Amino acid sequence: MNANGHYLLGLLVAVGLVSYLLRALPFILFGSGRKPPAVIRYIGGQLAPAVIAMLVVYCFADCLKNGCLSTPLHGGAELAAAALTIALHLWRGNPLLSIACGTALYMYLVA
Amino acid sequence: MDAAHQTMRSLVRKAFVASLPVLTGYTTMGFAAGLLLALQDGTAASALWAALTSAFFVSGPLQYLLVDWVREGTPYMATVVLTICLNIRYSLYGLSLLDRFKAASVPKRLYMIGTVTDETYALQTQCPWPAGLKSTRYCLFLALFDHLYWVVGVTAGALAGIFAQGIFSRARVASCTKGIDFAMTALFLVILVDQMRSKTNRIPAVIGLTASALVFGGLSYFRGFAAAKGSMLIPSMVLIVCVFLAVRTYLDPERKGAAA
Repeated sequence: MNANGHYLLGLLVAVGLVSYLLRALPFILFGSGRKPPAVIRYIGGQLAPAVIAMLVVYCFADCLKNGCLSTPLHGGAELAAAALTIALHLWRGNPLLSIACGTALYMYLVA
Repeated sequence: MDAAHQTMRSLVRKAFVASLPVLTGYTTMGFAAGLLLALQDGTAASALWAALTSAFFVSGPLQYLLVDWVREGTPYMATVVLTICLNIRYSLYGLSLLDRFKAASVPKRLYMIGTVTDETYALQTQCPWPAGLKSTRYCLFLALFDHLYWVVGVTAGALAGIFAQGIFSRARVASCTKGIDFAMTALFLVILVDQMRSKTNRIPAVIGLTASALVFGGLSYFRGFAAAKGSMLIPSMVLIVCVFLAVRTYLDPERKGAAA
């Protein structure tokens, strides 16, 4: 197995196990009708949109890392593709359409 | 054919029809994720990794992040913390599925627990039967169909990537698919827009955006973009949770209810 393979195997075990345990947690702990502590219910209920927003920032951080500001468009390709994705999604609400068009525009702009 | 067989067939058919909207989404998004993995990994083993990770992660965001993780060699600790923050909502989903899954045998229950996703959960809560054997069977087939779409999509994408690199050169494929990794950004933008349609998600999203932008900005100032991007995830999530705890009186629906 190459270096990627070893790393992937570790990820498979670590992330796969944590994923499964999180899904199983209520069945392990609360099978008898008990509820999780209020603070966990609160944080758990708020976290998803915050983490997705963080991942959007993470993606743009990746663009900055790859030097998108010094390309001919100075980061315009990223902004235009993101704007198209958001606008299409607000308008039509079809995830596949928004993602495909946004990605296609980006590929066209950086080709 | 006896009556029991017939009811079983109609139940499976009902579950399949209900799962059809998920079919297109999961296979297409899965295909793109598998393709990205094969392009990044560049080995024939990508298909195996695509199949295994999609079968066990059962998550769109994690499947796309995997490509970034492999490229960067992200420490396991960061991947695990991120998985917890992304998937803790499934623990809450599980609470409302406890009764529905009760009638299932242990192996079936273990399988259904592991395959809950946003889409599958939404379909399972719409189950036309009250909790019991029929409802459990229906939920099991929903889980099975959705899971299958995802694994098949991701694996097919990885195979397509491997074959493309075999027929043309790796460099040729890389230049033709340049920019396709924007699909991950687009996926997160789409999920974010959908979440922000619900008013209660807007403040959490703004908190996540601001906190992570501040962390990335601060780290970049001292250490440059590359190091900042690699190390932003854990401090961002810590900051987000701290802000949530600080503003709990205003955001927690249970506390707001108690105060009113």
